[in-house]
Amino acid sequence: MDELFEVVVIGGGHAGCEAASASARLGARTAMITINLDLIGQMSCNPAIGGIAKGHLVREIDALGGIMGRVIDRTGIQFRLLNRSRGPAVQSPRAQADRSLYRKEMRATLEATPNLHLRQGMVVDIITKGSTVIGVEMQDGRRIGARAIVVATGTFLNGLIHTGRRQYSAGRAGEPASQELAAALRRLGFKVGRLKTGTPPRIDGRTIDWDRFEPQPPDESPVPFSFSTDRLEQKQLNCYIGYTTERVHDTILANLSESPLYSGKIRGVGPRYCPSIEDKVVKFRDKNRHQLFLEPEGHATNEVYLNGFSTSLPAELQRELVQMIPGLAEARIIRPGYAIEYDFVDPRELRPDLQTQAIKGLFHAGQINGTTGYEEAACQGLLAGINAALSVSGRAAFRLERSESYIGVLATDLISHGVDEPYRMFTSRSEHRLALRHDNADERLRPLGRELGLVGDSDWERFHSRRSRICRVKGALQRQIRRSDKEYAAIAGHLGVSDLGDSITLEGVSKRPGAPRSLIEALLPEQIKSEVTAADVDSALADALYSGYLKAQAVNRGRLERHDSLRVPIDLAFGSLSGLSHEMVERLERARPRTFGEAKRIPGLTAAALSTLLVSISAAAGAKAGG
Amino acid sequence: MSTIVAPATTVGRSAVGIIRLSGPDSLSIARGLIGADFEPQHRSVVFRALRDPKSNELLDRALVTYFRAPNSFTGEDVVEISCHGSPIVIRQIIDFTIYLGADFAEPGEFTLRALANGKMNLSQAEAIRDLVEARSKSAAQQAVRQLSGELSSALAPLKERLLESIVVLESALEFEEDDLPPVQIDDVRARLELVRSGVEKLAATFSAGHLLSSGLKVAIVGRPNVGKSSIFNALVGLDRAIVTELPGTTRDCIAEQISVGEIPISLTDTAGLRAAYDPIETLGIERTRAAMADADIVILVLDGSCELTSEDEETLRSVSNSTRAVVINKADLPSYRNPMVGRAGRIQQGIKVSALTGEGLDEVRTAILAPFEVTTSDGAGLLVTNARHHELLSRATSLVRSSVALLGIESEEIVLVGLHDALRLLGEITGETTAEDILSKIFGTFCIGK
Repeated sequence: MDELFEVVVIGGGHAGCEAASASARLGARTAMITINLDLIGQMSCNPAIGGIAKGHLVREIDALGGIMGRVIDRTGIQFRLLNRSRGPAVQSPRAQADRSLYRKEMRATLEATPNLHLRQGMVVDIITKGSTVIGVEMQDGRRIGARAIVVATGTFLNGLIHTGRRQYSAGRAGEPASQELAAALRRLGFKVGRLKTGTPPRIDGRTIDWDRFEPQPPDESPVPFSFSTDRLEQKQLNCYIGYTTERVHDTILANLSESPLYSGKIRGVGPRYCPSIEDKVVKFRDKNRHQLFLEPEGHATNEVYLNGFSTSLPAELQRELVQMIPGLAEARIIRPGYAIEYDFVDPRELRPDLQTQAIKGLFHAGQINGTTGYEEAACQGLLAGINAALSVSGRAAFRLERSESYIGVLATDLISHGVDEPYRMFTSRSEHRLALRHDNADERLRPLGRELGLVGDSDWERFHSRRSRICRVKGALQRQIRRSDKEYAAIAGHLGVSDLGDSITLEGVSKRPGAPRSLIEALLPEQIKSEVTAADVDSALADALYSGYLKAQAVNRGRLERHDSLRVPIDLAFGSLSGLSHEMVERLERARPRTFGEAKRIPGLTAAALSTLLVSISAAAGAKAGG
Repeated sequence: MSTIVAPATTVGRSAVGIIRLSGPDSLSIARGLIGADFEPQHRSVVFRALRDPKSNELLDRALVTYFRAPNSFTGEDVVEISCHGSPIVIRQIIDFTIYLGADFAEPGEFTLRALANGKMNLSQAEAIRDLVEARSKSAAQQAVRQLSGELSSALAPLKERLLESIVVLESALEFEEDDLPPVQIDDVRARLELVRSGVEKLAATFSAGHLLSSGLKVAIVGRPNVGKSSIFNALVGLDRAIVTELPGTTRDCIAEQISVGEIPISLTDTAGLRAAYDPIETLGIERTRAAMADADIVILVLDGSCELTSEDEETLRSVSNSTRAVVINKADLPSYRNPMVGRAGRIQQGIKVSALTGEGLDEVRTAILAPFEVTTSDGAGLLVTNARHHELLSRATSLVRSSVALLGIESEEIVLVGLHDALRLLGEITGETTAEDILSKIFGTFCIGK
């Protein structure tokens, strides 16, 4: 071996960066190997981080001690909190990024990380001894030793780009695909499938008639992603909203045969929620316009990302179509859009720590597991990086539960159900949506990050201060306001009602429809008011808002879920249970549920099979208890 | 997978006994009894000699029916042997099938296999049980309908509508940035109201349905010698109880099953309530009190030919909080009066009855059912006969109701909690896995995605 490391991370994308950073900070001598060091942290398509549910993931990554939140806070150019009009549990931050600043900041972060070594080159093989990894082989002949390897190769495995009738091998436009490594994974026996995704054209901002578009301004008081951020650095700018026209749609429909999607040239399933413009126009023919977003890619560049116009139509046709859009009549395309198909490995081959079951020390994170999105990739990278480091130091694996984080939901969904199409996070994927808020990610996960060793002293202190401030606010919310108190009339006036009962707590006031945060803040005792931030008050109010519903939900669920925590014996041979068909046995064996609750979530498992399972594990539990 | 065996008819002497085998070895086990050259056609019935596989001694001659998988009750190979109904013969045949490799089936195992092989859903499986246990014609009809999936079909459009509402709310919440049409709260509310009322109606058929399958317990009470046993006999239509002129004749409670309309009734004649003179009577009186406590409705009998006694008052008091019908008996006597029963409780008109002539008995039958709002229907209209279903439907109803109340007041994620739970509960009724692909519906309905 030319060099020896404890952990090697293959890939410098969002998953790779989190994995490398976490592993190194946990004390493992780590190398991150990437094809091009100048493209570390590159955003493949949309220059933005966050969004509904995705923003939750980023805050959870930050709470655990990951880096994505910090990097976007330093490089974000338009911050918005989504779903402001809705409940806090479904609010989620989002930010446009200055694409090149994000890369620079990410690289700088990694270069400042002790124990972390960056290497440029293409990995062409995983070297194993028996069924354990011992290193990787590079294209240039180097062999690098590793006791744990994280594969975070994004869309590069056998990547194939399609634009119109042309196709060529690439991991991303302008970057080579990773073909030998893809072959190596197949050789190691993994179940490999094919997925696809696409990206829209980038336009020269100087050729856009900006007045024809509706501005979407950033938030006045933006919410940062990281719990460590005091202030946002970058000057903010607008995005702009536009629409396609029927003429655009008709032209697309007339040229469908030019689209590799529709000519059948692309294998691989794409994500339903990132449809190409061809998909949209075909599936929703009666819509006379589709929404588009113009997203500037940075202060120092002319490139503008045309969000909503993902396409693989021929480049010449793209120009024609773009110029039909009102406001883009003179527009020039800097980079055309394209579709890309790539290999992924069935994530059901993974354990909950993202280590493959077949090969010891081999971890998979990110797009390779069938997910789509930077945030989805990053949280897997974090999980895999943590576990790679834990595994080489002989510590127990780290896993997250569905009930405590969206990261847990993602990981358990992947390894239990696999993917039929690229997996993206939605709040509806969690049955604990009310409890998993973006603003309480720290409460849920900071202690875990600290225990692992990823949360430093100053962040830990900040966390404690914030939590105790929130507690003080919650205490103050119990203050009773009686009819005789002078504030009573004012509150009633604010809320537009005449009567609030004989007395009402501040908490009660906050739950009234239309009660603004400012009203509650004004009623807090002076001492608390001067110490707490708006974010503290928001979190306290959110806890109060949902506590009743969470209790009721627990009661309801309790009856439905009373068997959920029943353990499935590790050595239970599903095939021995009478009345289970082959198909049910197969599904159970593949998913290997640890509890009855997990078994319930296996798709395709019939109620009868569940009953059979329940009967046998209850009997086992009863026998153990009864002696 | 094992091959199971069990008698399909109850144990006892009868003309025919049916033994059922299900599983991959059914045919080879049958051959062990019939002969290696037994090659039946699917769904054929043949008459064969069954012999002891060891000694070749004749066990019985029986009709043997063969169903080839998957076209059988369980979805496996099934062999049914219809032999003579002697318990000994049945036992011997079963023993030999076990000798040849079959396992004795667990209770419900045939149905479990049918479920596992997708031959029926959970609701239908329960219907089989109900059908087997049905004690009245209507209950049997109901069970048959459930077996044919009627409950599932009645629920399907309600689930669909609930799912649509969930989709609208989820989309609004998850895809704020996409150009979706704004949520029409009133539309959603109206749709959910339809769901609620539909589910509520189904749940409401339970009280009638439950009665159909479980029946009513009715106790006839009153002081000694008012004619309880005569009325009992008249209702039952047999001279079941012993009637004499001596007070205190009925020493024990006698119960009989009758049918009023389509409702099975368990009618209990009791010992007359009075201070008893001997231990047997005391025991009888205790039993009476127990029957009264247990009853769904109590028939209090008074003697219309004389004044109300203190014992009558006592009895009236003791049933004042129960569901009851008051019968004034002995209308055939010239001294008969039909008093308004006013004291010790609510004022109630008694029913004028003569056990001797039969006058008023139909009114009594009506009065028994009246408090339970049962229209003795001809069985038209789906009735929920199963307490489990009723509970699930009731809970689903209140979940939908409370969610609708929150519409427009609380943010969608709170409203959706109850709706998701309600959807799950409805799914539990038919045992469908509740992994509704809500996302699929969303993407099918709305154009989403940047």
